[in-house]
Amino acid sequence: MTLSDVTRFVRTRKGTVLSVLLHVIVLGWGLFSFSARSMVAPPEDLVPVDVISDDNTSKAKAGHLDGKKENPKPLVDKIGDKKPAEDIVGKVDTKPVTETDAAPTPQPKPDKPVEKKPDPPKPVEKKPDPPKPVAEKKPEPPQPAPADKPKPEEKKPDPFNPDQIASMLNKDKAKQPPKQQLADAAQPEPPKHKTERKFDYEKISSLINQKDPTRQAAAGAELNANAALGTARGMADSNVASWRGAFMTAVRRCFGFPYNGQDADLFEADIDIPMRPDGTLAAEPVVVALRGPSRSVAAAMAESAKRAIVQCQTYTFLPKNQYDSWRKIETTFSLKDMR
Amino acid sequence: MSANFESKLVMRSRHGLSRRRFIAGAGVAAASLGWSAALAQQGQQQQGRVRIEPDAFHPIPIAIPPFVPGGPADADVANGISQVINNNLKRSGLFAPIDPAAFAERITNFDVPPQFASWRPLNLQGLVTGRATRQPDGRLKAEFRLWNIDSQQQVTGAQYVTAPEYWRRIGHIISDQIYAQMTGEKGYFDSRVVFVDESGPSERRVKRLALMDQDGANVRYLTRGADLVLTPRFSPSSQEITYMEFGQGDPKVYLFNIENGQREIVGNFPGMSFSPRFSPDGQRIIMSLQQGGNSNLFVMDLRSRTTTRLTDTPAIDTSPCYSPDGSQLCFESDRGGKPQIYVMPAGGGQAQRISFGDGTYSTPVWSPRGDYIAFTKQGGGQFSIGVIKPDGSGERILTAGFHNEGPTFAPNGRVLMFFRDPGGNAGPSLYSIDISGRNELKVPTPGYASDPAWSPLLS
Repeated sequence: MTLSDVTRFVRTRKGTVLSVLLHVIVLGWGLFSFSARSMVAPPEDLVPVDVISDDNTSKAKAGHLDGKKENPKPLVDKIGDKKPAEDIVGKVDTKPVTETDAAPTPQPKPDKPVEKKPDPPKPVEKKPDPPKPVAEKKPEPPQPAPADKPKPEEKKPDPFNPDQIASMLNKDKAKQPPKQQLADAAQPEPPKHKTERKFDYEKISSLINQKDPTRQAAAGAELNANAALGTARGMADSNVASWRGAFMTAVRRCFGFPYNGQDADLFEADIDIPMRPDGTLAAEPVVVALRGPSRSVAAAMAESAKRAIVQCQTYTFLPKNQYDSWRKIETTFSLKDMR
Repeated sequence: MSANFESKLVMRSRHGLSRRRFIAGAGVAAASLGWSAALAQQGQQQQGRVRIEPDAFHPIPIAIPPFVPGGPADADVANGISQVINNNLKRSGLFAPIDPAAFAERITNFDVPPQFASWRPLNLQGLVTGRATRQPDGRLKAEFRLWNIDSQQQVTGAQYVTAPEYWRRIGHIISDQIYAQMTGEKGYFDSRVVFVDESGPSERRVKRLALMDQDGANVRYLTRGADLVLTPRFSPSSQEITYMEFGQGDPKVYLFNIENGQREIVGNFPGMSFSPRFSPDGQRIIMSLQQGGNSNLFVMDLRSRTTTRLTDTPAIDTSPCYSPDGSQLCFESDRGGKPQIYVMPAGGGQAQRISFGDGTYSTPVWSPRGDYIAFTKQGGGQFSIGVIKPDGSGERILTAGFHNEGPTFAPNGRVLMFFRDPGGNAGPSLYSIDISGRNELKVPTPGYASDPAWSPLLS
């Protein structure tokens, strides 16, 4: 084949040649460009997933109930910077030491420090409670408490939790006015603490600034990712599913309503159970609603359920610190799967 | 449905969806969204409640101490009544009367509440106390109270006065009251069963019509056994029985009055008449009439004595039974080749086949509650008793064996009675079984027994 043959072939078959060339170009371009791009896979973050059984939650709960109330190792996911830590630690160190005598109180404090003050019968020193007329000592109901208990007040800025820095800030702001008021009140102790603290707004603000805004974990001197067991801040505490499951199992032990129809799964009774903190019934269970093909059967089932609830008490396993969540237990009794 | 709706919307939009239609469609979509949101909210609310379901079928624990006798002469009756109640509740399968040895207290005074504290450890759902007293006029007064031990309250109570020989019936009536109170359903203890009593050797079996209480007591024979009797059925009024008897000629349907012993032939038909049954109001009898090689269903009005044909097919239609509201009929027919169960309007009309399983189906009987039709099923070398819903769904075999046949419902539709023939030289016996297939029990009869039919409640 000579060159002239080739040129003649190209002239006579322009379309074919053009088509072949275009195909080669397109395929060649696609081979390099498409394949290169398509192979890029963005790295994915692995998300660890744990399957948690009822047993686990119960154990976690047991840890919370049985474990020490004081947290020996605060939750720490990241090593904090030393500079700011020094200041904080310095302040913190003094507090636990001085507060040891008030050991029973610290537990409630983190939740609601202010509300707790009226509770403690400690003001034994302040027997002059009845003689309220002494307006000097107790000018205002809320204020007197800090006066006789300056130490508890310091617990507010619990150093273990950096998130409370803001509250520390507020507390100190609040402290200044009280300081003047309390000066005439009685005890000179509060001023002592103030001097120990060497409080400085600027330092605190610098601390706050160093906190990484995107950071979700607490910083500290030592890594500790296991926060749940035995700590006052443990999250197992808020896992209400565990007491619900335990309650269901307990009542089911006493509940048996023999119904032999195939429509058993259509019957339901909603029953509310008012509870006392000690796990006994505060009043008779209340039937809220009945559902099912036969009202008389549903009513008989509800009566049977009420007897079961009464017979199976007391429910001592209900966590007392979650009393608010089971002050009134709302239940639905049904005959599902009973065939 | 929503997918269809969307595709229509798209199609129309290509051709130009009118504004009005679009707004209407959007409205429907929004409404359905709102509805589903409401459902979701409801679901969340339901989630918030602790769901409690029984882990198994538990009979109700109950204590029925002996009734307190009003005088020394009443001891037997007082004891007997509590025995009847114990026996009834236990045989129902829904109650578990506790052993008298476990009783925490001997009830000696009916007028004083029991010592609840001593009964409480037994975890009972109820405690029944009672008293039986012979009054000066010779009549028997029986009283009972059902107590809730936890609330220490009387749940229910009543007193009855009757002739002393009816003390068993008082026991049945009290049983019904306790049953109704604790389960929410009507009882069935104060009822009777008519059946065919069989005696003698198998080649010369004497069959008599007999009547007894549902627990097997107080058996009465209604016929002498000279002629063969089959398929007795109770009237809803409970005073009459209809049955088939082989007399001198063709088998005929008879009507028998239990109170005065009178009997009469129902209608005067040329061929064989069989498998009769009362309508729910007791005013009509429906039965099969033989016509050549076929049989069809007819209904006869007992007052006007007029007969109406309900089916006209070249097949054997038999074993008709009304639904409890009288609006429909179920019956057995081999019009499809094999005997199967059909449902049709009570006045006649198009019949709907409801049984589609393997084998043949016969003796359909509608539950007094209307929820099931019980049947005998033959197949695989066995005769089974089963139930099926009137729409043909939910078929369930309750018991199977060599020969089980002829189910009949208790008045509350919760228990079935049937007869079982073990084969060989032995004869049939009556059995009862729960509608769920639990609690199969032999019903005591003096001899062999077959073809039971349960009466409605007597009271």
